[in-house]
Amino acid sequence: MTSSAEQPRRVPGKLRRRLGAAARMLAALALAGGVYAAIMPASQAEDAPKTLSARAQEGKALYDVSCISCHGTNAEGVKDRGPSLIGVGSAAVEFQVSSGRMPMAAQGAQAERKAVVPLFEDPKKIEALGQYIQEIGGGPQLPGEYGGGDPANGGRLFRVNCAQCHGYTAGGGALSSGKFAPPLDPANSAQLYGAMLTGPQNMPVFGDNQLTVKEKKDIIAYVEYMKNDMDPGGYGLGRIGPATEGIAIFVVGITLLVFTTLWIAGKS
Amino acid sequence: MSTQHNDSTFDPDEPHLTRFDLVREGARRDGVEIVHYEPRFAKAGTAAEKRVERTIAFWFMITGLAALAFVVVYVAWPWEYEFGGHLDKWYTPMLGATLGLALFGLGAAQIIWAKRLLPAEVSVQERHDDVDTVEQKLTGATLVNMGQELNVSRRPLLKGAIALGALPLGAAAVVPLGGMIVDPHGHGDPLFHTGFDAKQFNEGKPVRLVREDGTPIRPEDVSVGGQITAFPGVPHGTTNVHADSPTLLIHLRDNDAKLTRENLGRVEVNKGGMWQNFVAYSKICTHLGCPASLYEQQTNRLLCPCHQSQFLITDNAKPIFGPATRRLPMLPIGVDDEGFFYATSDYKVPVGAAFWERP
Repeated sequence: MTSSAEQPRRVPGKLRRRLGAAARMLAALALAGGVYAAIMPASQAEDAPKTLSARAQEGKALYDVSCISCHGTNAEGVKDRGPSLIGVGSAAVEFQVSSGRMPMAAQGAQAERKAVVPLFEDPKKIEALGQYIQEIGGGPQLPGEYGGGDPANGGRLFRVNCAQCHGYTAGGGALSSGKFAPPLDPANSAQLYGAMLTGPQNMPVFGDNQLTVKEKKDIIAYVEYMKNDMDPGGYGLGRIGPATEGIAIFVVGITLLVFTTLWIAGKS
Repeated sequence: MSTQHNDSTFDPDEPHLTRFDLVREGARRDGVEIVHYEPRFAKAGTAAEKRVERTIAFWFMITGLAALAFVVVYVAWPWEYEFGGHLDKWYTPMLGATLGLALFGLGAAQIIWAKRLLPAEVSVQERHDDVDTVEQKLTGATLVNMGQELNVSRRPLLKGAIALGALPLGAAAVVPLGGMIVDPHGHGDPLFHTGFDAKQFNEGKPVRLVREDGTPIRPEDVSVGGQITAFPGVPHGTTNVHADSPTLLIHLRDNDAKLTRENLGRVEVNKGGMWQNFVAYSKICTHLGCPASLYEQQTNRLLCPCHQSQFLITDNAKPIFGPATRRLPMLPIGVDDEGFFYATSDYKVPVGAAFWERP
């Protein structure tokens, strides 16, 4: 374009200039394309479903028999049945399927933890399914390693971020319209991590910028600590505190006192 | 005392009176008649009596052993906290069980002694059903006499002294209650302003939203469908000095954010309060001031755990369930040049529970 403006003054160099401009244009295009290809491998994978890895292929087969009815043919979701799975990542898949929440038994207020369906009893199959969802939509992934957290700091973070719904002792609590925050006792470390990372159902998402990987591991350390510690006297009465303890001592203690009083006052 | 029996004829020194006769007379003077009295065992030292004695002795022994066990547990049982199922978890229960058993044994021994060894006795106590008018008049006269003896009406100095002394004493009991009442207009209208008031607490500079540790918050720190509790970035902003300021910053999904933005117009003061898909509401419930922070990210409801109030985030935090009657106040937010959240102004409605002057 610049060459056309200079044309009247410098007629002899016209062809050479045009060739030069074309070459520069080609080089720039190639560079831009190359950089794009280098930094955007994921989007390429999206555009080309043919490039699914062998593991993802296996996952797709599983998806097609147990998830497709609610989440749609390409995991784009089905209205009023299931949400889109694009962008949820393998973390969400592994959390939902390994805790038995998915596949859901029925549509309802709460996807409840249940025994893992027989099809997914082999954890490798859940991983394959996760791999498939990861490759078609991307999203957060589980780190696979959850140890080494500091339970003291985890306890502080738990009370700030988790206790309002799950309770101070992770026993769970009520939400609106029949929903509830589940007790954390049955969840393993990977599921705890996955829940924080992906925000399943009505739980808010705690991304890595909000709770760092280290902080998540601290929280896991605290929850595991509470799960494995023993209650004084062997039974925590639901760990609810004064409420159940008060009821227990009232029912047991008062009954005992009443009968003792009757025995003392009764004629011998 | 009121029932006077004719005791003038009773002489305790009469030689034919037994000790039990004295006991019976003593009870009679207190209005109690012993009508039946016999030893539990007609013949002393029978096998049945011995058996009862052994039972009582058994309970005394239990008391001794349990009390000894208590001392041993107290001294020797491992009590220091150890993770997991160890003996330390049984320290308190063991103290309670041993001491409880010791006291129970002591009580049981005494009760059994009283029920099985002491003589069987039936006593009848008089009931004072009739009103004794003479006694009434005597008591009345005594009281009036006490007042007369003080004779305050004839001693005006003492009357005044009592008034001067007693009135301030009453004030000393009542006045401290006044300290519990916050003057909504004292020291910069505390009920109308929070730590996000730039003029009052930050020398006019916009107040940033910070975490509990005081670090400012960027938009990318909160994931879509996430929420974070934010505090005013002013001195002591995360302490109880600004206990009314905690704010819930929520990152909504595109659709929910669109709906929320459309609904902003319904509440005049909330217009323009959102920043992109972020919205911030006071965390203090408008019912009784609990932290309402149970955020349901699918239904976009915010729950208060104390009395189950629910607020709809997508419609200006309108109360949709429970005892709360007011919306949660919205904190208008923006993002500054350095990419951190700040409050474009203080809350435009007082936060927290209603008070009598709340506009």
